[in-house]
Amino acid sequence: MSGGNSKNKARSKKQEGWEEAGGEFYQELYPGGEQELFDNLQRADAAKLATLLPSKQARNTTTVKRARSQNERRQSTFARTTQSRDIHLSMLPDLSENLSNEERTWEEIMQIKAMPVPMNQKRERKARLQNATKLRLQGFEQLQWRQRKVWHRFRIRFSEIVGKLELWQSPMREIEGKFGTGVVSYFLFLRWLLFLNIAISMLIILFMILPKTLLTEAESTCEDYSDNSTECCSNYYLTKNLSDSNVFLDVLQGTGWMERTILFYGVYSDQIYKYYVKNLFQSELYFNMPMAYILVAISWVLLSLIAIVKTAAKGFKERLVENEGQFYKYCNLVFGGWDFCIQNDKSAKIKHKALYNEIKGYLEEEKYNEEKQQRTRESQILIYFKRLLINLIVFIILIASGVLIYFAFNYSTDRLSQPEQIIETNTNFGNINVTHAEKLTLSLYKEGGMFFEQLENTLLEFLPFLCIVILNLIVPEIFSYLIPFESYTPAHVLIISLLRTVLLRLSSLAVLLSQMYTYVRDNGFVCSYVNETDENSSKLDCWETYVGQQLYKLILTDFAVQFVTTFFINLPRAFVARHTNSRCFKIIGEQDFYLPKHVLDIVYTQTIIWMGSFFCPFLPIIGTIFYFLIFYIKKFTCLTNCTPSPVVYKASKSKSLFMSVLLLGFIASITPVAYSVAEIFPSINCGPYRGYNNVWEFVIETFDGFPFLIREFIFRMGTSTFAVPAFAVLLFFLYYYWAVAAANRHMVTVLKNQLVLEGHDKQFLLNRLSAFIRQHQKRCERRNRASFADDDSIRQSSR
Amino acid sequence: MGQGKSQFTEEELQDYEDLTYFTKKEVLYAHQKFKALAPEKVGHNKNAKLPMLKILQYPELRVNPFRDRICKVFSSSNDGDCTFEDFLDMMSVFSEMAPKAVKAEHAFRIFDFDGDDMIGVSDLREVIERLCGPELKLGDSEIQQLVQNVLEEADLDDDGALSFAEFEHIIDKSSDFCHAFRIRL
Repeated sequence: MSGGNSKNKARSKKQEGWEEAGGEFYQELYPGGEQELFDNLQRADAAKLATLLPSKQARNTTTVKRARSQNERRQSTFARTTQSRDIHLSMLPDLSENLSNEERTWEEIMQIKAMPVPMNQKRERKARLQNATKLRLQGFEQLQWRQRKVWHRFRIRFSEIVGKLELWQSPMREIEGKFGTGVVSYFLFLRWLLFLNIAISMLIILFMILPKTLLTEAESTCEDYSDNSTECCSNYYLTKNLSDSNVFLDVLQGTGWMERTILFYGVYSDQIYKYYVKNLFQSELYFNMPMAYILVAISWVLLSLIAIVKTAAKGFKERLVENEGQFYKYCNLVFGGWDFCIQNDKSAKIKHKALYNEIKGYLEEEKYNEEKQQRTRESQILIYFKRLLINLIVFIILIASGVLIYFAFNYSTDRLSQPEQIIETNTNFGNINVTHAEKLTLSLYKEGGMFFEQLENTLLEFLPFLCIVILNLIVPEIFSYLIPFESYTPAHVLIISLLRTVLLRLSSLAVLLSQMYTYVRDNGFVCSYVNETDENSSKLDCWETYVGQQLYKLILTDFAVQFVTTFFINLPRAFVARHTNSRCFKIIGEQDFYLPKHVLDIVYTQTIIWMGSFFCPFLPIIGTIFYFLIFYIKKFTCLTNCTPSPVVYKASKSKSLFMSVLLLGFIASITPVAYSVAEIFPSINCGPYRGYNNVWEFVIETFDGFPFLIREFIFRMGTSTFAVPAFAVLLFFLYYYWAVAAANRHMVTVLKNQLVLEGHDKQFLLNRLSAFIRQHQKRCERRNRASFADDDSIRQSSR
Repeated sequence: MGQGKSQFTEEELQDYEDLTYFTKKEVLYAHQKFKALAPEKVGHNKNAKLPMLKILQYPELRVNPFRDRICKVFSSSNDGDCTFEDFLDMMSVFSEMAPKAVKAEHAFRIFDFDGDDMIGVSDLREVIERLCGPELKLGDSEIQQLVQNVLEEADLDDDGALSFAEFEHIIDKSSDFCHAFRIRL
């Protein structure tokens, strides 16, 4: 039963061999393992000595968890070599040595799965563990163990259920089989965005839309329209008659009846709702709508930020590890190159080709780097000059597209407000109509305007957005055409073209926003009553709603274009490519799944959603629906239209890339919103913040209503007496971690050097040892011969 | 599912759940997949031993350049023929739940073609040749160069071959390996 028992058994088996050799003497000298080792050493030839070294055998002694099962592991992996089998027998652990309790046994059973042995051996081991005598746990420990077991079961069941609920499992698998893990990581990213939007939508539905629809507003009364009080203006705005317009166009533009729905900022009330819950509470309950509005906005901003940072940090960590192991790029390529998920012949062939190209690329890059050092000064200057020129061209293109958007916006607003002024002089209906667009559609309708005129106006309304989207389609193509001239390394090409495209998209958005800002600044802040009586004006009643409408239109256009390009442009192209043999058509038709472009598409959508959510709370919900549909659109693009890309996308790298692009989009979209919250005067007619100078003022006012202690506390946090030390402490921590990281890096190099030295030492010693053994063997043989001779002589002499 | 269930007792399923990274349902699903490879044979005997050629019909394995090595590593009879239990072991190692260390262990054995517990130059050459596929051939000097580079990166003790410790060190640093070394059930 005891440890000695099995050891003895093992030893006795060994001993037989030794006794035959008559080496009893050695047994005392080399007890146990060493004796066997020596035995092995003698038998082994020098080349195989290396496999006997402990370091070659003790795989993973570092991990505590696996240390227990280590012997089993060794047993399996070394079963092939007979020599090592001798060794492992003696090293086999004693299961019974330390009588384990139930919990430990259970833990060990759970670890069996990590062993690389066939199932029947695993089962045997499990049975052995189960049947072994073990201590029963008593009392509290027993309870704890039971709990652990139940928790473990529960986790398995739970993961089973979650696994079943997991969205889009089979499409992912299909994509993975055809395109590999890099592309799947894109679809995972898409799903991640979908979930983020669902979370934001939940917040908005729970705290804004539900209260708005369920709770009834108290009627505000307006005594006198002539004085410009908030009540009157908003009352006027909300009761204006909007019934008369084309429903379909309204849905597209978010105007007309749509404007007065929960879609937009305008309808949310500035009141504190009072309500009763029957039989639950005696007193009245309150729901502060303005507070909810700002809190929801703040919380979704924080939520998105945390989600991004958390996911990005994970990727960043991986990246860091990888960067340190920059030296491992060849190993990575060789051992991690093949995607084991691939299951389709064609993509396997492409993968082979991609790997081949990558290997060649790496080898060539090495040559390129060598050449680069030898590159002449002139050619270097030429390349820099080329790069400068192309950057200039890119810059010009960016500015040109900005100007184009600027003019498109101005043109459309001018054209839209022109007829308005003419017509408005004819119409003296006192209390109809709101924004210029409605006025326009309405008045055109009244005049018996034809449908195509309406259509023209809709087109005009959409002109800037169409312009943006088309620029987004064309300009990246130009960029990708330009970039080969700059002779960057492939990794840089990806990043640079991505950066330029992001810049294009964001700058076009920025131009649009600045245009909207000037428009709002000039036409925004008027009471609707005044607005209406002043006939000649095209002022906005509710600029927040207006901004919301614009972004709503932008997202619609964006989605429509994605839909159209996928099904009406790229699908025919793919069809042509598949059914033709002509090379020309093939070039036109064939498209590979160019990951950065598709990443940008969805990041862009998300940027618009973030930008618009404050003004159009429904946007995240629309976004959720869109993302759901976009998944299928992109899947279609991927599986039907495209062929696998000849570029290898690494899953780990692309993930952190997506996140950094998303973070950029987040910052770019939140900044203008934050500015508008903090600085711009909210319209008097609508929204939860009518009557305030800016939205932030409301927050400050609420803050003033807090109890003194809390107020004082938060106030102190803001003062320099707190901020400066806090900043200093943060800096100190930063420095500390930086120092630790530097020390670790140093340690890594030292250890690595040490490893190398040890390796050399080992080589040296092994050589020495094998030489020694050879010598020893020779000497033994000689001695044996001599002793035989002695024996003979003795025998002879005895005769 | 109901059909598959009748082939296993609750006890067996519990065993499989404890000894692999799968839940019971997944074990049954894996069995369905296994059965699909050779319906009559497996229908007759749930743990039938399928020849390697049959196992290689599995979609992911069919196109995998290391398919025969995978089968050999997981085969309990060491000749590439797999029973259902071997197949289950294989899928368990390739599943998402399996930790990196377990995957590394098996990967090492897969890449160790000559079975000397070291990934030597000849093993590396074989791996590289298989990676490039049957049609594309790298030049001898290129392979030589690549092997040289790999060894330069990873062979810390300069013995001209990668031991398991060195291999695991590489895998530890490679973030792609876990993504790539995976077959979804």
